[in-house]
Amino acid sequence: MNEPRKDVLDMLVEGKITAEEAERLLVALERDQSPAASRLEPRPKGRAKYLRLEMEFLEDGESGRLNVRVPLQLLRAGVQLVALIPPRALDRANAELVKAGVPIDLTQLKPAQLEALVEHLDETTVELEAPDGHLRVFCE
Amino acid sequence: MMPQLVTVQVKRPDHRAIRIWVPVLPVVLVLSPVMVLAVLGAAVACLVFGISLVHALGTGWRIVSALPGTRVDVEYSRTAVLVSIQ
Repeated sequence: MNEPRKDVLDMLVEGKITAEEAERLLVALERDQSPAASRLEPRPKGRAKYLRLEMEFLEDGESGRLNVRVPLQLLRAGVQLVALIPPRALDRANAELVKAGVPIDLTQLKPAQLEALVEHLDETTVELEAPDGHLRVFCE
Repeated sequence: MMPQLVTVQVKRPDHRAIRIWVPVLPVVLVLSPVMVLAVLGAAVACLVFGISLVHALGTGWRIVSALPGTRVDVEYSRTAVLVSIQ
């Protein structure tokens, strides 16, 4: 066993770090020690810039199409609005949600969490198919 | 960067199309007195509801700055509307 791995396991035995932290450290060590393996990983794709929504529908025998492109930067800016909601309004909204049987505490929604959500939209694709149309949401 | 140009295009069932280019900066300059009033109203609202005015203005500016690239294209039957912000 090499020295860094032994140090991590010693720290775990001595209770200085938790099992989860030890696992993370060991994974990081493995990654550092196998540069050849990391070279084989696929190159990360370019970051998505836009959220796209495409919808085609049939209504009263007429066909329709909706095509929306929203910059992800706009979503990132939009989630900052959460911090501007007055606490009184959040309390009222929480009460209404509880009444409706959806006990979600909106005061726990933090812009940083929503931003992280937006960051991870890149790979998301949502597709809905129905007899009278279809909807596709994706990032590009 | 704030939006420079808003393009609105309407295609009517008789195949006629109207395309309007709206340069944002001149419009903002023309409407600046109204915008000053709007900012004052927003400031009062922030004070009433206990929201940081600086934070609110910063968020508003970030949203406006993020608008370029937005495009909405709606087509129904033989009518189509396209709004594009650049």
